[in-house]
Amino acid sequence: MRATISLSPRQLLFAVLAVALGGAVGTLVRDLALKLQATQAPITGWSGYAPLAQPPWTGAIPWVLLLINFVGVVLATWALAQPLRHHEPNDLMRLLVITGFFGGFTSYSSLFVAFDTLWHLSPAGCVVVALGALASGVLGAWIGLKLRWRP
Amino acid sequence: MTLTLVTLAGAFGSVVRYLFEYALRRHHPALRPWATVAANVLGTTMAAYVTYKFVTFGDAHLRSILVTGFCGGLTTFSSAFAIPAILQREHHWGYSIGLVLTTPLLCSAGFLAGIALAH
Repeated sequence: MRATISLSPRQLLFAVLAVALGGAVGTLVRDLALKLQATQAPITGWSGYAPLAQPPWTGAIPWVLLLINFVGVVLATWALAQPLRHHEPNDLMRLLVITGFFGGFTSYSSLFVAFDTLWHLSPAGCVVVALGALASGVLGAWIGLKLRWRP
Repeated sequence: MTLTLVTLAGAFGSVVRYLFEYALRRHHPALRPWATVAANVLGTTMAAYVTYKFVTFGDAHLRSILVTGFCGGLTTFSSAFAIPAILQREHHWGYSIGLVLTTPLLCSAGFLAGIALAH
């Protein structure tokens, strides 16, 4: 573990700006990508002449969010393991890319909101998807460590 | 307009997560990965609260700004697995597995607490 590092007010300001910029872009890209799924496959509301019919739970699987999170884990792990390997936790590039962009791009909380929707349609389905999400994170980190490519 | 506010809220949430990590790292460097866990649990709890508190169609914008924006920025899936991966590579196996398993358990508890708070 690294030694204690304190930043000057000026350094802290730049650090916060780097995280804010990365977080803003990451959040924006995630929101736009999620809207893509929402317009293609509405998962709520009624269908046709059967307003009380339950939509199948598979329609509520958050595929886009799962993909966003998977890609985010692969790339963030790869970046931390290779190009940013010797960068300090307060390095501006690391803050911009890892803490900011990938932190804003991926989301743990939205995943749980999606699990909640699934739970009401099919508790078993929800458990399967939740375990799948956990497995995708572990697999993504493993792939990120194995990637050989370097820019 | 909503898109701008979602983006700003995401930036703000990310900064709160960073300040959390910065504060913990300054005082307890070895505990730093737990700041990510805490941010994820806090963000998930808040997402549940907002989802169950603001339920009407008219609240859709507020829900987007707070859940997709702020909570989305505050929480992170990438660091939740990337940091344990780096720790595992440095042979901190127990620490790594502990982080990966406690995060979803604590987030589940947080989500239920958020629902309870909203009722």
